[in-house]
Amino acid sequence: MKQFSATIIKNNKLCKDFFQLDFSWESEKPEAGQFLTIRICDCTVPLLRRPFAFSAFNNQSSIASIIFQRRGIGTELLAAKTPGEKIDVIGPLGNAFPLPEKIQKPILIAGGIGLGPILFLSSTLQDLNISSKFIFGCRNELSIPKSDQFSSQHPVICTDDGSAGFSGTVGDYLSSIWSTIESDSVFYSCGPHPMLAACHQFAQKNGSPSWISVEQIMACGVGACMGCAVKVKQAPGYARACKEGPVFSGYDMVW
Amino acid sequence: MDLSVKIGSGTLPNPVGVASGTFGYGSEYEKLIDVSALGAIFTKAITLEPRAGNEIPRIVETPAGILNSIGLANVGVEKFLKEKMEWLSKMPCAVVANIAGSSEEEYCRVMEKLETCQSIWGYEVNISCPNVKHGGLAFGTDPQQVQRLTGSLRKLTSKPLIVKLTPNVTDITVIAKAAQDSGADAVSCINTLVGMVIDVKKKAPVLPMKTGGLSGPAIRPVGVAMTYRVSRAVSIPVIGIGGIMNTDDALQYMLAGASAIQIGTGNFIDPKIATTILQGISDYMREENLQKITELHGNF
Repeated sequence: MKQFSATIIKNNKLCKDFFQLDFSWESEKPEAGQFLTIRICDCTVPLLRRPFAFSAFNNQSSIASIIFQRRGIGTELLAAKTPGEKIDVIGPLGNAFPLPEKIQKPILIAGGIGLGPILFLSSTLQDLNISSKFIFGCRNELSIPKSDQFSSQHPVICTDDGSAGFSGTVGDYLSSIWSTIESDSVFYSCGPHPMLAACHQFAQKNGSPSWISVEQIMACGVGACMGCAVKVKQAPGYARACKEGPVFSGYDMVW
Repeated sequence: MDLSVKIGSGTLPNPVGVASGTFGYGSEYEKLIDVSALGAIFTKAITLEPRAGNEIPRIVETPAGILNSIGLANVGVEKFLKEKMEWLSKMPCAVVANIAGSSEEEYCRVMEKLETCQSIWGYEVNISCPNVKHGGLAFGTDPQQVQRLTGSLRKLTSKPLIVKLTPNVTDITVIAKAAQDSGADAVSCINTLVGMVIDVKKKAPVLPMKTGGLSGPAIRPVGVAMTYRVSRAVSIPVIGIGGIMNTDDALQYMLAGASAIQIGTGNFIDPKIATTILQGISDYMREENLQKITELHGNF
């Protein structure tokens, strides 16, 4: 973990309100599931640093990427950043997705802005020659990101309104292919809470490991403030999304 | 240049500390800041038993501030001594244990246990947490209770004893005087202000506890004004806290009458803020030809 001033290389719009920010990286190599925090501006509104999961890391060029959604003051300002500008970053933070064991068949599920860490995991598995199934759910065809990294992972696309790909949620899609899901699958998911709960239920039904990446409002990002707590079964009943997480076993969570 | 600050029987190496609840037990920040350069680490509040903390969500951002409802989540005094003090005791800065409880007895028992540890420089008594159902704020708003609790704790230690004041009272100077009269060596001024944020779509408060403690630059002028009033009402040192984000903010507190300051929410925004401000204070003293930090206090 290190705090440094990163230089923005690219800030590309991937689709309606989704952006990919590429920037120089000077800390340890980030792994899929980990995140960084960005101080978006030297101002008091927005005040807190914003956490973002890594969506890619290029080892050769040492360029890290995030995918973010423009949905508030902070991300509005981030979307307006241009190449050459500096951003104050701290990372890598948190834990990473455990990679599948040799016999396991990974099923990767992302919903909306939960795409970043799942896409990074998918690329990582591809680099390791581990085949996986990648499912991406979003509202409609306008929410499908246009990027080489995304299309190179050959995702199954599900849209809520049926305007592209499978018509329905990722849960609906999993139900539709349930008979083909192998018993030695391992589930990885990131997205809205109801989607995570549904994915975990599928994993549970299949008797498979279930890894989820959670999102929670954060203040410090380094495990000091206890602000980003999530409910877990183990005493004392809470875990920090920034330190013990953001990746948890679905079996450890209180749903 | 002499930056040291005397509080009771102890001396802080410099006036810049990090506020309780914003810096964990110190080691969380070791890769991001030279912790050894700090004047003091005010630890996460320590209670007799571990506390899980409040329902989630616990934080909501507000204009130039944050509203928190952590609920004194901490590892408890036994685990603190066993697991957290080893790292802290290596630090040359003052380790100030922030103690909290639901009853006078709990505060006393926590202090008795902490008294066994020589590396603890002193204590800050949290009588001002707005986020717990029992204790906390209930102690801090009643001068008689403040007097009784401070007096009881005073009997248990000869180390510096600091009482952390709440701004959620009609007259903060009454509470400050009660602390001073019963043996406190200093007061920290101020803890968070009670606040509420409502989700208009859900027609409900965002925080499950309904209210939380407001911190950050939004409260700085309140903290400075209260520091000004308290420092003129008592003769013991005042430690200024509330929304300090840069050297200018820290100097405002010191000119208002604070002998030392604590950085709270600012640590979340820039972990290096405390050392940056310490450097800034030194630069200011050089520019102003001040030899001792004490020449700065209440100097206007």
